Amino acid sequence: MKILVFVKRVAAAQEEELKIIKDGEDIDLSKLPFKMNDWDSYAIEEAIRIVEKAGGQVAAISIGDRESDDVLRRSIAMGAKEGFLLNRDKPIIDPVLRAKLAFNFIKGENVNFDVIFTGVQAEDDQFGVFGGYLAALLGLPYASMVVRIEDLGEGYMVVRRELEGGLIERIKVSTPCILSIQTGINEPRYVSIMGIRKASQVERKVYEASLYMEGLFSGIELLKWSYPPKKEGAKLLPGDMDAACKELLNILREKGVYQ
Amino acid sequence: MSYGLLVADVRRNVFEERNFDLLGFCSLLGVDPYILLPEGDYAINPSHFKKIIKVGLQEEEFLNPLNMAHVVERAIQEFGNPYAVILSSSSSGMEIAPYVAGYFKVPIITDVSNYDGESKIFYKSYYSDKVLGHFKVEDGNFFVVTVRSGSFKAQAKEKYGDVEYVTINVEKKTEKRSFLGYIEEERQEVDITKADFLISIGRGVGSKDEIPAYEELASLLKATLSASRPVTDKQWLPKERQVGTSGKTVKPKVYLAMGISGAFQHIAGMRDSECIIAVNKDPEAPIFQYAHYGIVGDMHKLRDKLREILKG
Repeated sequence: MKILVFVKRVAAAQEEELKIIKDGEDIDLSKLPFKMNDWDSYAIEEAIRIVEKAGGQVAAISIGDRESDDVLRRSIAMGAKEGFLLNRDKPIIDPVLRAKLAFNFIKGENVNFDVIFTGVQAEDDQFGVFGGYLAALLGLPYASMVVRIEDLGEGYMVVRRELEGGLIERIKVSTPCILSIQTGINEPRYVSIMGIRKASQVERKVYEASLYMEGLFSGIELLKWSYPPKKEGAKLLPGDMDAACKELLNILREKGVYQ
Repeated sequence: MSYGLLVADVRRNVFEERNFDLLGFCSLLGVDPYILLPEGDYAINPSHFKKIIKVGLQEEEFLNPLNMAHVVERAIQEFGNPYAVILSSSSSGMEIAPYVAGYFKVPIITDVSNYDGESKIFYKSYYSDKVLGHFKVEDGNFFVVTVRSGSFKAQAKEKYGDVEYVTINVEKKTEKRSFLGYIEEERQEVDITKADFLISIGRGVGSKDEIPAYEELASLLKATLSASRPVTDKQWLPKERQVGTSGKTVKPKVYLAMGISGAFQHIAGMRDSECIIAVNKDPEAPIFQYAHYGIVGDMHKLRDKLREILKG
């Protein structure tokens, strides 16, 4: 089985403060570390587990600038056989444009596959559009929020989807197909610096994205950034730990949950 | 007048509350609400809609994105292009919307939490609600949009007018994807929805090795330990302890959130708690907008100090 996995390099902003600069034109990411999108590392791991069990190979594809080579090397270190970079310096904001680019690349280069995995969404833009849009362009069946792949049959897969409130849906999807993988489906393997160094020896092919973007345009336009509107917000307890703890315990007593 | 094509968010014969956000959004767009509904009896108020379009599909077939593309195609044949196809940013909407947009090769914008009708600007969260992107959608045939639950229900009109019922049938049903069944969550050891006092830990916990000390803190305070998604994803705590849209919705007397930045999916599961206390090292973390009390600082240090005092 051949599995293509789309991986994205994103700013690790989860625990960091984000600064909007240039009057809302940009977000300052210059001081942030970058990493593989969380969802994508689960997708790569799931693909690798499948080929380890059923045979085949995994190819990682990233759309981004040269720095995105990071996430390709990581994918290879995890067990992907090859990596492709669709190189473009300027970030592509519109996920529809990324899906159309991917479509043109797959068709133009005759990339063959049995299954395509993507993460459910990217940590940065939270669009969750790429996989489903690409599936429709390719005329393939699609399922999102996949939390388990139960069965790999001849020409089909049985997968579980996560719904709200802990409910799970079981569905049968014929292959080839596109699945968007949810976090928590597995435990992505650890890769050492040594492993990544070794992966560097595997060639990553670079394609110029612009060659596959002729005649494509964005359907949405990003005008500016702002911070979410502030509400009254929390009453801050003192910064000193001793004092903060005492006040915290007072609040717990007041609310009657601690004597 | 142009219309908005609403894809009803339904599951197991329930017409979800978040459908009101579709209605509210429709009224901000200034278009007539036409709603697509599968076979079955749903508790809806017909006066909310201009048209109720009954689709000859069972609920699970209706929720299949491959079928929905054909349903929308049929609706367009009957009523012309809508102004927008509008869905919920839910497990169904998030799956159906991009597929339908891709089928018609039209623009899409997801998880919209605000809209300015005058300037036609859509607001969408980035980086777990730390910043908002302001978007314009290019003019074209139509576009697809998913809206964030709770964001627009206040704008929903109580009474729209005389409703018209229409039925459409879909001949092309997909064989490439089929529904097999539902699985309910297994019986649980601890029910976090019943607890009065929850200590909830998030990504900031950093490592599995830190968990036992939080368990000890919870036991010293007679609290129950819960978590946000990153912690249960890594299986540091069982899934049944997860607070948020894909986990549990909780309303304890006190919710002490430690190392949780406050992504919307988490907030939606705990915002109705009586008293929310947040501990986070990032003073700009969205959780502080929802908390009654906040401590800006290191969660581990706070934990250790509390343990010291309580054991003292």
